[in-house]
Parts: sequence; C-alpha cells; structure tokens
Amino acid sequence: MSSAGHPILDPTLAPPFPVAALPVLRNPQLRKNVAHAIDVIQAKRDRLVAEKTDWQALREAASGIKDEALENLAAYLEQFEERCTAAGGHVHWAGDAAEARRIILEILRQENADEVIKIKTMTSAEIQLNPFLEAAGIRTYETDLAEIILQLGNGEPSHIVVPALHVNRGQVREIFARSMGIENLSDDPQALTAAARHYLRQKFLTVPTAISGANFLIAETGAVVIVESEGNGRMCLTLPRTLITLAGIEKVLPRFADLEVMLQLLARSATGERMNPYTSLWTGVTPGDGPQNFHVVLLDNQRSPILARKTERQTLRCIRCGACMNTCPVYRQTGGHAYGSVYPGPIGAILTPQLQQLQHARSLPYASSLCGACYDVCPVKINIPEILIDLRARVTDQERETARKFSDPMYLGLRIANWIFSRARLFHLAQWTARIVLRFFTRKDGWIHSLPSVGAKWTQTRDLRGLPRETFHQWWSERERQRTRGQGGERPKEPGTREAAR
Amino acid sequence: MSPVADSRKQVLERIRAATRGPEARGSAPATVEPPAPGYLRRGSMTAEARLALMAERLREYDAIVVECSPEGLAATIHAQLKASGRRTFVAPAGLPAEWLASEFAWRIDGNLPVDEIEGADGVVTASFCAVAESGTIVLHHGPAEGRRVITLLPDWHLCVVRAGQVVQTLPEYFDLCREQGSEGAREQGNKGADGLPALVTWISGPSATADIEMTRIKGVHGPRFLNVILVTD
Repeated sequence: MSSAGHPILDPTLAPPFPVAALPVLRNPQLRKNVAHAIDVIQAKRDRLVAEKTDWQALREAASGIKDEALENLAAYLEQFEERCTAAGGHVHWAGDAAEARRIILEILRQENADEVIKIKTMTSAEIQLNPFLEAAGIRTYETDLAEIILQLGNGEPSHIVVPALHVNRGQVREIFARSMGIENLSDDPQALTAAARHYLRQKFLTVPTAISGANFLIAETGAVVIVESEGNGRMCLTLPRTLITLAGIEKVLPRFADLEVMLQLLARSATGERMNPYTSLWTGVTPGDGPQNFHVVLLDNQRSPILARKTERQTLRCIRCGACMNTCPVYRQTGGHAYGSVYPGPIGAILTPQLQQLQHARSLPYASSLCGACYDVCPVKINIPEILIDLRARVTDQERETARKFSDPMYLGLRIANWIFSRARLFHLAQWTARIVLRFFTRKDGWIHSLPSVGAKWTQTRDLRGLPRETFHQWWSERERQRTRGQGGERPKEPGTREAAR
Repeated sequence: MSPVADSRKQVLERIRAATRGPEARGSAPATVEPPAPGYLRRGSMTAEARLALMAERLREYDAIVVECSPEGLAATIHAQLKASGRRTFVAPAGLPAEWLASEFAWRIDGNLPVDEIEGADGVVTASFCAVAESGTIVLHHGPAEGRRVITLLPDWHLCVVRAGQVVQTLPEYFDLCREQGSEGAREQGNKGADGLPALVTWISGPSATADIEMTRIKGVHGPRFLNVILVTD
C-alpha cells in the first residue's frame, strides 16, 4: 500500500522505531491520510467530551473500576468462568499465543470448519491467528470494513480502532475493484461500503463458525460485551452455530453496572460519538437465539507479569479506544506501522515492549516526546509518560547487563568517558584535543552545525555550541596565579565564552 | 493433569503471584459495593424534555422519529408501514396483535428460518428502554422485542418506545435493570445473576461506518433504516 514495502507488525522482527518510521516520513500521501483521519476523530472527540460535565469523574471511576478488577484479577476471572460455564459457555485458558491458536484450531476442527468469519479483534492479530488458520487450511474472512480493506489489500493495521485510516478512498476503490471483480466501482465511500455489504452478505448467512474479541467480560454474570458500529459484529454473534471469543485476561469487569461508566467513555474516546451504533451483550448460550456452541479463550500471553509492577500495571486498564494515538504528535507524523506491532501509538509504546518482556521493541519507550497528551485524553487515566520513563530505565538497566555494553557506541563512549573523567591529566588532555578538533567544525557564529560519524547523531537534529577558548580550570588557575602575585593585577576576565567545557 | 487444566492453574498462579497473596479477596468479590461515584447518575430533566432530547438524538443519527398518543399507536404503526412502501414484515411472537395491520404480510417469529427473515422487507418490535442522552434504544430480547436476528437482517426496523421507558442517563438504565430485573431475562430463565439481562443490544442509530476517510456512511450490515415511534403518556 505504501511505496515503502510491507510493514512488519511482529515485534520480534520489526526494525527499531526510528528506522521503521522513515518510509512513512518520506511518504507524503500516507502522512496526509493519517493526519486527515485523526484530525476528524479528534475534533469530534473533543466536542463530545466537552459536553460531558462529569468527564473527569467518569475517568476517575473507570480507572478505579479497572484497578479493582486487576487487583483481584484471579478471583474475578474464576467468577467469570463459573458464571459463563453455568450459562452454557466453555471457558479455555491460554498461557501464550501458541496455546491460544492451538485451542482455537482444535475447536474449529471439531466443527469441521473450513471457513470462519471474524469480528475485528486486535488480540487475534496479536497472536497472529489468521496466518496460522490459513496454513491449517481454514479460510478467514474479516468482516469489519477496515479489516476487509486490509485483508483484501494485503495491508497491515495502523490504528486499533480505525485500522485502515492510512488508506484513502482511491486506494480502497482499487483494492475492492480488483479483489471483488467489480469493474465500474466509484470511489464514493457510500458505493465502497455497499460493495463490502454485498461481498459479505452470503458469508454471514452461510459460514457456521465465527471468531470475536471482547471489549468487556462481566465477572458478575459471565457475560461478554462487544462494541461496534457496522453490524458485522452482530452478524457474527448471532448467525453462526459456533462462536469463539478470544479475550485478554485484563478485559474482565467486576459488575454488570460497571458498563454504565465504560460505555459512556469508550465511544466518545474512540470515535467521537455519544454512543456507537451497536453494543451487544450475551451470556453463554441462549436456546433458540444465536450460537448454541460458545467458547471463550482467556489469553495471558505475558499480561500477568505486567501486574507485578505497580506503575506498569496501569497498562492493563486500557480499553483500546485509541484516543492516545489520535492525540499523539509522534503518531501523527509516523502513523501506526512504525511501531512494529498491532498496538501502535502511545499505548503500543508501553504495551508492546512489556508483552515482549523487553526482549524486543526496546526502541518503543523512546518513541515519545513525553508531552503527556496521551495521559490527558486517556479515559482510564493510564499515566503513559510515567510508564514510558520507567520502561526506558528498565531498557537501560537491561542493556547494561548485556553484551551490548561492549558493542554499542553510546555505552562504549560513556565507559571511556567514565574512565577519562576520573583521571585529571587525561581529562585535561581530552579537553585540549577536543578544543582543537572541534575548532575545525565551529562556524563563525560560535556554533557547530554538523559533525561527522557518531557526532552526526547529535547534529542531525540540533546544533552544538562550540567549545570556549579557555576552560574553567584554565580561567581559575590564571585567577589564582594573579591573586598570589599580590594585589597588582586587575580582576581576571570572565571565562572565554561563558560556558565552561563539559 | 491434562495440559489444558495445567494452563488454567498456571495462569491463575501467575496472576496471584503478581497481585500478591494467594487470595487477594474472597470467592465472591462482586458482592462488594462500588464506592459512591462522583459522576452524574440521575438526570434532572422533565419527562417532556427527556422525550424531546431522545427524538433529537435519534434524528441526529438519521433515524426517522414520529410521536403519537397511546390511542393513536396502532394507526401510527400502520401509517409508518404504509409510508415505507414495504410489504412483508417480521414480528416477534409477543408483539400486541393490534399492531399487526392486516393489509401487510406478517412473519411471526418463533423460530423462523434465517432466509425468511432475510427475505422480509422490515421488522417491527417493542423495546425494553431508551436512553435520551445518547439516543440509545435498549433491547433485552423479551417476547415483544424478539430474537436478536430479527432486528438484524431486515433492512428496515420500526421500534416502538413508550415515554415511560425513556430515561435520561445511561446509569438510570442500569438502575432500572437492578430494580426490576428484566422481562427478557426472566423469560429466558433468568440466567444472569440477580435477574440481570442475559442478552442486551444497545442500538444508537442505524448501522454505520467511518472506516473510509472518516466519512460517516449509514447502513453497512445492520438495518439501514431505523424508524422510531415515541408514544407519549
């Protein structure tokens, strides 16, 4: 879709953020698409949040509810399991992605399924379910409009709420015309949407198995809640014989009535609507209504270790509204693919490295200016900047422990600096050398505008002040010398260019 | 122990270890009352203003809204069906007989096959409640609201909402659930705890998407046309 080649959203394979961001930064069309989409959502969101006089109280309540759920997560999950099972559902537990995939495949095999319809679920993208099922001979049909665009266009999601926001109508027209075999398709969104409706209708009516994610699990009743707009969700939740819901363990809410807070926050934050067109709640199996065979797969996949750290635990409050990416000045420039994960933006920058146990995606905590806009808009009050800083510290600690300390120029440089700085003679020698060398790069205005090699890392984005003629040490010893010589001398001049050498 | 049961144990153990203490709380945490919330739970609008707001919100969603008196309801339904230019309608089994105008073809749902529902021109249902602030209609899928599928496949949905069912805020709806349980849930064997509904669909306008350049398009997979009759008390 972008001229820059296929984005990699597997954190174990993706290049570091600054590298992955380059193709987008060089693609004006892509940047225009992203900026347009998030401008529209954000303007709507801001307007509808402003009309809620109790917005801050709702945020407070929501973060309290999620904290309580996380504090007692094991008990609430057990309660959910008990109630869901009592209502005729089957609950499975998956320790990691591979196990979740295995469980889902096993259920589909029991159903003799060779096709499955899907409601948009980022969790299934997290465990890379579609390629796994396709390899096992089961065809997957995404049913959310944005997901169809990506699936048919062989694209990757760049946003958690509007995954195809980087694709414009002309590109959608091309994809649909090609893959649906429609010759005279216009690029009017109305016509494109109608094409998708027609394309999927028969699938909805005939495919007997469906896979969904979950927005919320209700411990009190064993119910599952899906929030959507198009009705593709309702189709998948109502028509098939068998439904499999894949949900992260953090999706559980203690009580049914907790939805009174969450549903007020979610749509406003996500799409700038007072309420999304359709929200569905179901509890296990209802005779005569909807799938008679219902499975929930509870996925850990490195979520439980996040609970152990108090600051990072906030990450699991996330209700996946995407408001943080819409407001983020970094995401606005880079779009979602640069994050190398299905979870982009500020929440991705904290969630992805943690789901990877900081073994991968270690550049993501740095993909932020720490401006705090994400914290301001977060409906569950996740202090993302605080977590980013904590993760940066952990990444640094970890790197200090690894072989990288012998190979990374920055670590090597700092170690050498450490050695030199603790030896006065060497320090003076280094200062002397640096002043001579840097003089060649210092312009008449007293600034260094560009440096070669490693030094370019600094001067690429900012200037460096030239070193002063005289160091503080030199100035001081000169001053002392004059003093001991008696009262004869006048006051020594101020040090060279004010700033002492670093 | 089977590997499946093993994962359950391991996941729960990991969570317990990470949240400190083997039993962070007893076995029934949901009995703990939430702290008194600081957000708005009850609205202060008059019944009239509430109804007007509901109508306004629905119209913002491109729904067609008409108001009528209780006596005029059957006639209003008839007029709406006629104006739609459609002929065949699905109705849930519990819909009042006087709503089923005889000049139209009715498919009464008990267990209608999917193609008969798909082949109908529209559907007529009642509702459990409506939330004015967000223009949301709530279905608990009781006898007069029907199975979920009947309000999904037909392209045209006529929904009757009585003024007494309209609340101002979303929390008021949740109070309503707690106070009276739900007709639908009771009907379906009351599977949810404390009479809470086992099936709920919250509908706020016709189905829509903004996935292409954030342009809101009405009508994707759900009904493209939502008609609401507000019955004044």
